[in-house]
Amino acid sequence: MATKRIGMEGSFAIAEAVKLANADVVAAYPITPQTHIVERLAELVANGELNAEYIPVESEHSAMSACLGSSAVGARTFTATAGQGLELMHEVLYVASSLRLPIVMTVANRALSGPLSVWGDHSDVMATRDCGWIQIFAENVQQVFDLVLCAFHIAEDPSVLFPTMVHVDGFHLSHVIESLYLLEQEEVDKFLPKYHHPYALNPDKPVTIGAFGPPNIYTETKKPQDIALRASKKVILQVWRKFSELTGRYYSPVESYKAKDADVLLLVMGSFSETAMMAIDKMREEGQKVGLIRLRLWRPFPFDEFRQAVAQAQLLIVLDRALSFGGPTGPVCSEIQAALYPLETRPKIISFVGGLGGRDISVPTFEDIIRRGMAKAKQGRLDELEMIEVRE
Amino acid sequence: MEKDETIEIRWHGRGGQGAVTSAELLALAAINEGKFAQAFPSFGPERRGAPVLAFNRISNVGHIRVRAAVTNPDVVVVLDPGLIYITDVTSGLKQDGIVVVNTPKSLADIKSELSGPWKLAVVNATVIAREALGIPIVNTAMLGALLKATEILGLESLVEPIKERFGPRAKNNIDACHRAYEETLMAELSVVGQGPRKAFETERLLSWQELLPGCVVIEAGNAKQYRTGDWKSQHPVWDQQRCIKCGICSLFCPEGCIGQNKEGDFEANMYYCKGCGICARECWTEAITMVEET
Repeated sequence: MATKRIGMEGSFAIAEAVKLANADVVAAYPITPQTHIVERLAELVANGELNAEYIPVESEHSAMSACLGSSAVGARTFTATAGQGLELMHEVLYVASSLRLPIVMTVANRALSGPLSVWGDHSDVMATRDCGWIQIFAENVQQVFDLVLCAFHIAEDPSVLFPTMVHVDGFHLSHVIESLYLLEQEEVDKFLPKYHHPYALNPDKPVTIGAFGPPNIYTETKKPQDIALRASKKVILQVWRKFSELTGRYYSPVESYKAKDADVLLLVMGSFSETAMMAIDKMREEGQKVGLIRLRLWRPFPFDEFRQAVAQAQLLIVLDRALSFGGPTGPVCSEIQAALYPLETRPKIISFVGGLGGRDISVPTFEDIIRRGMAKAKQGRLDELEMIEVRE
Repeated sequence: MEKDETIEIRWHGRGGQGAVTSAELLALAAINEGKFAQAFPSFGPERRGAPVLAFNRISNVGHIRVRAAVTNPDVVVVLDPGLIYITDVTSGLKQDGIVVVNTPKSLADIKSELSGPWKLAVVNATVIAREALGIPIVNTAMLGALLKATEILGLESLVEPIKERFGPRAKNNIDACHRAYEETLMAELSVVGQGPRKAFETERLLSWQELLPGCVVIEAGNAKQYRTGDWKSQHPVWDQQRCIKCGICSLFCPEGCIGQNKEGDFEANMYYCKGCGICARECWTEAITMVEET
């Protein structure tokens, strides 16, 4: 294993992972909001460091469509997108998951227009919540690198065969330089099996994919898709365990920080969790029994792990970085509420929305969120969705 | 129709014969009469010639709430003579229900082919349509037959909807409708059939456990199993004396189902022939004639 810690931009770390995974095809559309990921990959292909077909397409819709084709012939396929680009891909995302094509895509999570915004939040992710992809959140550049490598392994497992998104917070991770440990090519080659789709398109052994499904079969196609996506968690756990044996870095569907004896838990997703840890540290020093829960695996939703992680808490404060306009709470919080509703004993839940459109949340603001959440729970104000730091 | 009655009708036709239009016109006519009505098709792969279904509910009671296919009809209308041999058109038909069939056969012949506790109405709508409209689109003729058989609406109620739908072609359609009304013959079917009731091949649908990931179909070329020959209302017949074996018919056949037999004569594979008539049209020695299916 590489023992030297090096500095690298998040986007470049992803490109490095894709190179080490020896992807066969990269299809991408190079316009704002795009990232340095595909820019760097174009360079790696052009200078011969990555032996892949680089398809510069005419839109994000076409990028995903090209990925369908290349993945269907059994080529290891990667693309990257962000924000509006992800939305333009939207209908093709569903085709990828229902055709069971293990495309790996990184999404630099961004706000959606209007007003025109290319800055970070989770609005783009939440709009694709139900598209049937495996979705994993990264919190720092090291995780970005690790999780992209793992994503190929997970997606291409013959019992999984689902496209997989690795969520990388726009700018906070995509455009930040920090340090990480890379892996050697031989290590990656040993870790990552060759991609072999059991029903790949092949003129010598023709198959039909993408046939139409009239009402008398469509439901029968959706049930196994849902069951298989849920069942993919087993493989996700196996791959992350295998990765930890290689690197000593452990990943879990739900991760905790100082949560064991905590009465109050804060839940966040993505890069803000590390900032939130600072607030937890500070409040712990003051003697408050607070902790942090981070949802790493967004789809399939890790119900068991999540329920276990919050079982002892009195109060769960959820921070969403997206709005569900006119809906009950933030999109993550409503999932959390749904996950806990069937339980007889469950923590009270308070919903906050913040960090929209690239706005930072500082350590003191996280402390404030926790304190306000505790106060609101005491007052019984459980049905409010509060947007933080909105200028009056 | 009784004051508190709701009648359910199922139309069996083929894509292009106008089953959906029939149902729509009937519903509009019923609503014009002050009744409540529904018309809706069963949306499928809308190919010309493929078996299609359309449905009506007509009620004197009030707004019809159910939005599901009619599975226990009071009346079944069969637009295509061949359909009674390939689909179970009387499936779910209520006791004392009515089967209205377009057929060139006589009442006695059809009676020997269908049996059950139902009434039968027959009319040669294809001939009526060809004569009145010049094309074998039988929907308006079959509306006339339906009204004769059921008396659910007055024949005159159809005039306005037909005018609105067909514009300059309305008169011919009204003529077809009226003529079919006059020519429809009725009979009681015998409950006991002549032989064992025909067992229809129904497509076995796969369970969710049997589908492969991504619903991939690994059996290459399985479209060959699909009997498109069921779609035809006419089939080509060759006059081998006139045929000069040029093979133009086989080149133009969109199904690719025309070939030469051992004697070197051209013929169509009836399992696939849809009866489109392109071969007859293209044959420049006029050796091919399209003959009605019976």
